[in-house]
Amino acid sequence: MSAISELSTVHRVKAKTPEEKRLAAKEAGRDNKAGYLFLLPWLIGLIVITIGPMLASLYLSFTNYSLIQAPRWIGLENYGRMLTDERLHNSLKVTFIYVFVSTPLQLAVALAIALLLNEGMRGLAFYRSVFYLPSMLGASVAIAVLWRQMFEVDGLVNQVLRLLGFEATISWIGDPQWALWTIILLHVWTFGSPMVIFLAGLRQIPGMYYEAAAVDGAGWWVRFTNITLPLLSPIIFFNLVLQIINAFQAFTQAYVVSNGSGGPSDSTMFYTLYLYQKGFVQFQMGYASAMAWLLVVIIAAFTAINFWASKHWVFYGD
Amino acid sequence: MAINRRQFLIGAGGLAAAATTVGLAGCAPGSGGGTGSEGGGGGEGGTANLALAWWGNPTRNKNTQAMIDAYMKANSNVKITGQPGEFSSYWDKLATQTAGGTAPDIIQMDMAYIAEYGNRGALMDLKDVDVSKFVEGTVDSGKINDTLVGVNAGINTPLIFGNPKVFEKAKVDLPDDTTWTWDQMSEVAAEVASKSGVPFGLAAFFTSDQMFSAFLRQNGKELFNPDGLAFEPADAQAWFDLMVKFQKAKAIGTPQQISEEFNKPLDQGALVVGKAAMQHYHSNQLEAVNAASGEEMRLLRTPSLTGKATERKAWYKASMLWSVSAKTKSPEAAVAWINWFANDPAAADIEKAERGIPPNSELQEHVRPKLSPAQQTVAKHIADIKPELAPTPIAPPPGGGTLGQVMGRYQTDVLFGRASTADAAKKFVDEVKSNLQV
Repeated sequence: MSAISELSTVHRVKAKTPEEKRLAAKEAGRDNKAGYLFLLPWLIGLIVITIGPMLASLYLSFTNYSLIQAPRWIGLENYGRMLTDERLHNSLKVTFIYVFVSTPLQLAVALAIALLLNEGMRGLAFYRSVFYLPSMLGASVAIAVLWRQMFEVDGLVNQVLRLLGFEATISWIGDPQWALWTIILLHVWTFGSPMVIFLAGLRQIPGMYYEAAAVDGAGWWVRFTNITLPLLSPIIFFNLVLQIINAFQAFTQAYVVSNGSGGPSDSTMFYTLYLYQKGFVQFQMGYASAMAWLLVVIIAAFTAINFWASKHWVFYGD
Repeated sequence: MAINRRQFLIGAGGLAAAATTVGLAGCAPGSGGGTGSEGGGGGEGGTANLALAWWGNPTRNKNTQAMIDAYMKANSNVKITGQPGEFSSYWDKLATQTAGGTAPDIIQMDMAYIAEYGNRGALMDLKDVDVSKFVEGTVDSGKINDTLVGVNAGINTPLIFGNPKVFEKAKVDLPDDTTWTWDQMSEVAAEVASKSGVPFGLAAFFTSDQMFSAFLRQNGKELFNPDGLAFEPADAQAWFDLMVKFQKAKAIGTPQQISEEFNKPLDQGALVVGKAAMQHYHSNQLEAVNAASGEEMRLLRTPSLTGKATERKAWYKASMLWSVSAKTKSPEAAVAWINWFANDPAAADIEKAERGIPPNSELQEHVRPKLSPAQQTVAKHIADIKPELAPTPIAPPPGGGTLGQVMGRYQTDVLFGRASTADAAKKFVDEVKSNLQV
């Protein structure tokens, strides 16, 4: 608690006479104490559940730790090994393709559907729920299992293709060339949560802008690029940042679709899946910890780049 | 807009930070589930508290709990808490519990993992368990560096199941498995597949480390010896070449189909759903496969190079083992329970052959009349192949338990034409070797 009372002294500066100072300090201290008290459950959670384990994993990343024996300090060896680990490089490649293909696609679909729903059609609440549904189901095991069966050689997708007269003998799930794309498709399909956020953003754009533009003879496309996009840009940015972070951490879909193997031939070996395999299947928890920290750095870097780039295209109305 | 720039930056930044830290947060030492052995004097006179963990299926869960109840009734000074689990999550949990010092006292162990734990001092020496009545070749699988750290809980053997209905449909006779060679297996598989119209003559075969082991042993090699890997890239290449030969003969399905079969759960496997004439399994899976498919599968020996089953170097595999955590507070009580399971007819009356045929020869005789028809078939097969046995393979050393997965990856590369068999074999051996070193 001493740290809290120290912090509260900041407020004393404003007071003038010693008497006022004393009273103000007392009051401020009381206020702050209450504030910190309310904060406490969260603070304990942050320290015990987030920061503590993070520091522990930072330490473990410098050790050889089999989970069973005590960790042994090996300095930077894990990080050095990462430089020559071809499977790790492959998992980065897979993850980058996934992130940079599926995120823009997903956001584009989400925005398109949101625009459509924003036209004020009848039964909006119903359609909104229907389109949101995949978001709730997408990360579930059941859907991933279903996905697997749909894209098998004799799955639903090929059966439909055959009805249309194609000779469909590809196993979309079993062919290393295609397996990743089925998971990207699964991710795009879960466009519901960015869509709902887009929809909320679209609702906030004052109708008078469109009316004024329409009076001036602006067509649909001009209104979209000159009114909708700029005013929606903070929302687009928000979705972009969140979805990129989300996509980097994708695990469940890849785990279930490939039955935890990242196969065929490592073509769906996401970074997180490889990390899991190193830690829990091969008992190299020190190496897995180092991998986790590389992921933190990568995500932080992309988020920083995103924020830097946002200066050039995000328009804040205020 | 409702969000101003600053609020947004703070909000999104916070989310970003929180989202990135999920990673390995749960893996720090001391974070294991707290359900291990607590207290429990264990000494004479006091009450011993034991936690007993296993993975399994509904039948096994019911049997094991019944055994625990029966044991506690007969031994009022022992309290056993069961921790049933499911295979894939079982190992995550066990690793975390072991790291946190709260491992269960009695652990159902698998051959693929026993060295990971045994070699690192996590398992107790079980020299006090009475294995004197065990059939020859069934004790050694539980030894790591000459110390017994796992007691065989049931015998099985890797083999092939054949679906008589598919053979009937193709009007092809089931092969004579005591004389068939690898080449004949390819011919039969190709013939039955084309005549019956199923995708696989033989499914899930070449991607099995057990079948690779069978192939190596007939060629005078092994998967592992005490020094590490016991085969050369040339041996792996021969195995990959054989696979390509079978594939070209249309005996094992297309690359697309083979790739799909990886890691399929038992009830979705090609043989079970009627897409295969033959498939590789372990003998104790017969009952489950029959139940899932509604067929009565036939047991077939793996082929031999010479056409003589007695030269095929078969082996009894421990389908699973019982181990005891080195940190248990009640070692005597844990040993006593395993002794009871391994040697007491009362335990066998409940267990029968669910985990495999009992390794104890007296219990084998005791349970035989009580077995289900499928289990009786298995028991007979296990007895029949006795003259065909060669020394039991050693457990995979630490890092070696994933050999099958590594092999499967390189086989996929070969099947899809992404690597030559020579390159794939060399990379496969290199990767397994580097896994063994860490």
